[in-house]
Amino acid sequence: MKKVCVIIPAYNEGQVVGSVIKDAKKLFSKEKDYQIDIVLINDGSKDNTSSESRKNGAIVIDHILNSGAGGATLTGIRYAVKHNYDMAATMDADGQHTAEDVLNGIKFSDKTSTDLTIGSRLMNPEGMSRTKIIGNKGLSFITFLLFGQNVTDSQSGLRIYSKNALEDLRWKMTGYEFCSEMIWRARQKKLSIKEYPIKAIYTDYSRGKGQNNWNAVNIIKQLIKLRILEIFN
Amino acid sequence: MRYLILLLLNLPIILLSILDIVTSYKMKKINRGIFLGRITLWVIILAVIIGAIPIYNLITDHKIFDSNELSLFDIVEITVIIALIFYTNSLRVQIDKNELRLQNLHEELSITISDRDNK
Repeated sequence: MKKVCVIIPAYNEGQVVGSVIKDAKKLFSKEKDYQIDIVLINDGSKDNTSSESRKNGAIVIDHILNSGAGGATLTGIRYAVKHNYDMAATMDADGQHTAEDVLNGIKFSDKTSTDLTIGSRLMNPEGMSRTKIIGNKGLSFITFLLFGQNVTDSQSGLRIYSKNALEDLRWKMTGYEFCSEMIWRARQKKLSIKEYPIKAIYTDYSRGKGQNNWNAVNIIKQLIKLRILEIFN
Repeated sequence: MRYLILLLLNLPIILLSILDIVTSYKMKKINRGIFLGRITLWVIILAVIIGAIPIYNLITDHKIFDSNELSLFDIVEITVIIALIFYTNSLRVQIDKNELRLQNLHEELSITISDRDNK
């Protein structure tokens, strides 16, 4: 039986994280081939994210300092390596990913022996607004231009990591730009990268959080800076 | 000609700075007052760079993009600038290393404390 660590980076998601964990645990407990643990990385939340997660059965790691999505994911991966997990997965804390999609990804990754598997919303974009589709396609194109790796959904938070990927993958960026940097670092380490289709779920809660579209400018700026500065390293 | 090169080299930096300020304002990282102040500053810098040379040349009856020969002072100045770029890059690499050590320390500490609490 393979040990899998499902990592959920979270910042101020106390309102929904409890039900996300509960639904995931319910599905994962039925699995016979995998022993799946849920590890929530509380990235300095100011609400009850940590207590809600513990209450619903997740292993919780509380960051001392807020480090960003990239930093929280790194902590989760370090935890998975330290505790000898065979695989890991990351999913969002706000209900944008279904537990079924996570489980499908784990099985797909295991069956195809892929190092980094990305759940792509753009292989089946039903439910995504036009702005999000264009924005994500744009960022995926920029990821390809800067780093030479072609993926349909470079910003997806649903990813599956093999043991090789867990041990070899590290990145510098701690904000959302880490999504693209991770793909680049995987390519540099010659890890295999594949995608599989997932559902894009946008609830009133996740829409209400209001992801600022101007953040895309910041992401692009950081990625260009990273690419240029690597030349001088 | 040198002034044209100066303008072409500085224009991207100024435009990037303005984009940075607009993005920070739209992301609600700075308030309206700070936004207006910073934008005004960079617009003034842009206006000075674009406007000063032709105005100076017009006043002194030179052609718009006329330029003097490269002087010894210019050569020393460019060499010092390149040396500073090299030194700044070395500092940046050191800062990157320290940031990585700090990040690693933070991860380990968070996991160790949480492992102890979760027992």
